[in-house]
Amino acid sequence: MGIVLAAGTYVHWGVVSISLTNLLIIVAMIVIFVLALVLPFPAARDRRYPPEDES
Amino acid sequence: MSAPAPEPGRPSWTSAVRDRVAGLVPPGQALPDRQPAYVASWIYVFGVATLAALLVVVVSGLALAVGGAAWWHTSSLGHFVNSVHLWSVELFFAAMVIHLWGKFWMAAWRGNRGLTWVTGVVAFVTSIGTAFTGYLVQSNFDSQWISGEAKDGINSIGIGSFFNVLNPGQMLLWHVTLLPVAVGIITVMHVVLVRRHGVVPPLDDDREGAAR
Repeated sequence: MGIVLAAGTYVHWGVVSISLTNLLIIVAMIVIFVLALVLPFPAARDRRYPPEDES
Repeated sequence: MSAPAPEPGRPSWTSAVRDRVAGLVPPGQALPDRQPAYVASWIYVFGVATLAALLVVVVSGLALAVGGAAWWHTSSLGHFVNSVHLWSVELFFAAMVIHLWGKFWMAAWRGNRGLTWVTGVVAFVTSIGTAFTGYLVQSNFDSQWISGEAKDGINSIGIGSFFNVLNPGQMLLWHVTLLPVAVGIITVMHVVLVRRHGVVPPLDDDREGAAR
């Protein structure tokens, strides 16, 4: 079992202190969120119904 | 000898429960295979992605419970299952937060969906508690350090006398029984409410204009 000697890299911004790993994860989540909004969804047309058919 | 046929119209707790369960969601909406056209967007994927991650969390957690701490600390398969449990939790929370962002900005509480929103919030908070107790039951120096830090926070809100984060046995039982049951129940309620009221339409859709 290895022993972790380094405490990791931290980003400091005023009173904010966050590990670089956590910052990168949050940035990745925001990128995925934006991509989910803009990328087209490859849905098969016969598996959905148009809005006017919804009751 | 055949069972006697029930009297039609006679009230019983069995028929009451049956009617209650059958009426939870509209007919055909429990597991629908068709959705409105606006659901064809990646932003609608993250709710079910959260459920899929939760399934992996539960299954890998069951395997860890069967093997025990000595197994997940010493064997290569135990290390693997331990890592699967960790990373499925990471994906669970990432997907749930992106799901939360999407639903917040489409005001998903519209159209009498307030309780759906609230159950989602409660599921999120309960999941955080479950994850925090998971940190405490790794049975390593990491969990020892985290519990030492956590006790001050827990004591500061006055519940340290009966929720003792320095007691690994108590935290393990919260993590593997009480909190997962709570997360499971609230998740089922959330999904039933989603199926009951349907997926919220986009903001620029005018079918539910009166409900905004």
